[in-house]
Amino acid sequence: MSGSAKTDQLRLGFMETIEVEGRGHIGGLLITNQNGRPLEFQCTTPVRPNRTQEILFGETLRPWLLGELIGSTLLDRVAIKPSLVVTSDPCLLELRNHTEVPIAVAESATGGRRSVSGGDAGECRKLQLGGSMLRFHEAHNGDIDSLQKQKHLIPDSADLQEPLERVREALAETVRTVFAR
Amino acid sequence: MDAAGTNGESVGASGSAAEADGGVMLPQRPELLQTGFNPALSRVPAPDTICSTLDMTLDFVPSWTPRRIPLKCIGLTLPEGVEFLPPTPPKPELPAESRRAAAVKPAEEAAEGEPPKKKVTRLKPPPDALSLQDRLFYLLQPPLESWLAGQELIMPFEPFSYQYEGIAWLFSSQAALLADEMGLGKTMQTITAIRLLLRSGQARRILLICPKPLIPNWQREFKTWAEELPVVVMEGNGARRRMLWTMPGVPILIANYELMTRDLAEMSEDEQPKFDLLVLDEAQRIKNRESNTALTARAIKRRRSWALTGTPIENRPEELGALFEFMEVIPKGGSPDLRQLSRLAKKYILRRTKDLVMKDMPPRIDRDAELELTDAQESAYRIAEKEGVIQLNDLGDSITVQHVFELVLRLKQIANYDPLTGESAKLERLQADMEEIAASGGKAILFSQWTKTIDWLEPRLKEFNPLIYHGGVPTKQREPILAKFKQDPKAHILLMSYGTGAVGLNLQFAGYVFLFDRWWNPAIEDQAVNRAHRIGVKNPVIVTRFISKNTIEERIDRVLREKRELFEMVLGEGDNNNRALSLTASEIFGLFDLKARHKDGAARSIGPKPVPASGEAA
Repeated sequence: MSGSAKTDQLRLGFMETIEVEGRGHIGGLLITNQNGRPLEFQCTTPVRPNRTQEILFGETLRPWLLGELIGSTLLDRVAIKPSLVVTSDPCLLELRNHTEVPIAVAESATGGRRSVSGGDAGECRKLQLGGSMLRFHEAHNGDIDSLQKQKHLIPDSADLQEPLERVREALAETVRTVFAR
Repeated sequence: MDAAGTNGESVGASGSAAEADGGVMLPQRPELLQTGFNPALSRVPAPDTICSTLDMTLDFVPSWTPRRIPLKCIGLTLPEGVEFLPPTPPKPELPAESRRAAAVKPAEEAAEGEPPKKKVTRLKPPPDALSLQDRLFYLLQPPLESWLAGQELIMPFEPFSYQYEGIAWLFSSQAALLADEMGLGKTMQTITAIRLLLRSGQARRILLICPKPLIPNWQREFKTWAEELPVVVMEGNGARRRMLWTMPGVPILIANYELMTRDLAEMSEDEQPKFDLLVLDEAQRIKNRESNTALTARAIKRRRSWALTGTPIENRPEELGALFEFMEVIPKGGSPDLRQLSRLAKKYILRRTKDLVMKDMPPRIDRDAELELTDAQESAYRIAEKEGVIQLNDLGDSITVQHVFELVLRLKQIANYDPLTGESAKLERLQADMEEIAASGGKAILFSQWTKTIDWLEPRLKEFNPLIYHGGVPTKQREPILAKFKQDPKAHILLMSYGTGAVGLNLQFAGYVFLFDRWWNPAIEDQAVNRAHRIGVKNPVIVTRFISKNTIEERIDRVLREKRELFEMVLGEGDNNNRALSLTASEIFGLFDLKARHKDGAARSIGPKPVPASGEAA
């Protein structure tokens, strides 16, 4: 069930991480079809940086931990490869440097119908998809162009931030059920 | 020595300078000893160099290279849904998306800029789902609103929020009793939950059992709410039905209770069909645990069990036990006490009342029409009562509730109309009311206990073009009758029997309901009234109960009022009253003052004594 093979189908990834007190971070990736129906979910075991990593990575610790470490692991593990990964955490944009899959931070498309699709909007280009404004990695602005062809598959009413809530709930449930034992 | 002298002078000079500066004078000049070493100090040192290799081996070198920490993952692949033909494309003048959008648009347009956040209904894992995978399955589903509004599942109308909650609850439940009050959309909620189960791959084969008259209603509702779902109705001869029971690839099979009982009894254990979900509509039909219907329903192999009824308790709270046994949440033959029933009810029953969820619904206006019998009726009634009571008294201790029941029925029939003269106070009142209703273009439904009364009424209400809907009307003719009642502006009254017309029908276009005579149970009467007073009703529904004064009807009405209060108490929280909710044997006896006469002329009451805790229901 390789999603991106068919041009009339779009597989979306929704990635979030949460911090578990005393255990570190865990991350989850939900793959859905273009209508938000879940197809696959993966989540990691908790990971906690040691003192050396904290010192040496400094400010780059979170992007490394969340993006490169957790994000890459999740993307490697999913059987259904997404055409786009949406997140709410800008730190996860770092993942784009380690994968070919476009990564975007979803922001609420405030101001209603202002379409910025593909145009310059400040420092980095943004793309309106459904009811959300997507911000991409500065060094990979070409991602917008690659998504333009499939943009029509996402209904205007789609809320790309809602599935992130599902991921957070699923992570919390996982922590309660498995890791809290 | 020059050097010494120079040294001595310089010291002395420095001492003078110190004095000049106001410093402290040394008391005595230092004495330099002649050691022969001093000249060596003045010679320029001549260091020599040698070559030596640097030792590069260190005892401890801290080293660190970033490496990727291996992380373990927990994965879940969600089942693929069943693909069906997409629904018929929406009509051009009103596209489905627009229809849906129309329902939600006013709220969106109300605010400028940021659209208002819509309330969402999320699925919750059922309490008995223990594995992480099972629980995640529910948590990862989209909110019902967006799921149903998506391109895949078009809804003809936007459900109410309590209906979304009901759908979510059903979808997550292995065992469920949806007991919403009549008229709140149990059918629609069930169909939508079934639709989601099929679409999400949670179920592939579903059996729905309902009373025979309701099959066309279910078919119609499936067409409205999930027209893409193939529905097969169990009908035809034995061979065909046998084939249908086990035919693969039928997602939804609808059968009536009688066929279920008959057909499955003829199948061997190996032949018994299996289902992912069994739904019993009007599930109070299995309240008698030992009945063939209940035994057959419980024996059906299935993974999920849902029961639907607006009256989970018709007579006694213990009836819930039969439903819980079907739902497999109590052991076979288990008899939970009231406290356990209450606990189980909280977990497995979802019941909402109109007062709770439909605050904006037009009200139901109840009015009692207390009527004096006509002279002929009065005369016939008194004679029948007097003779009947005498006969009962003569029976003495051999009297049974059946004897009393027969007298009650005879008196109730006379209260409807005098069989000899045809006089009827109720008919006179009905005709008067109907003239007014017909003049305003309104429609009314009339319920009676007897088909005989209905047939008697029909020719007498000719001017209002009455339609008849009771058990004597062949099933195939019933739907056209309902359609005619809805569409024909001249058809002002539908005459129905409680038994056939009280459940499952949507007649919310009728603004008036007449209860020509009273049923034994307030729950059945409510079911009847709610054919008209249900979702979609635009105007208040006026319910008129005919009660003949100074007759058995008045006494029954008093008992029923008390029953209604009890009914509300039992389904409320903290109820611990287990008194029977329907007429008990002692209450039926109590309708008459029955006394057996001794030879010595003394009299004593006969019949069962009132039972304080629980009694035998009528």
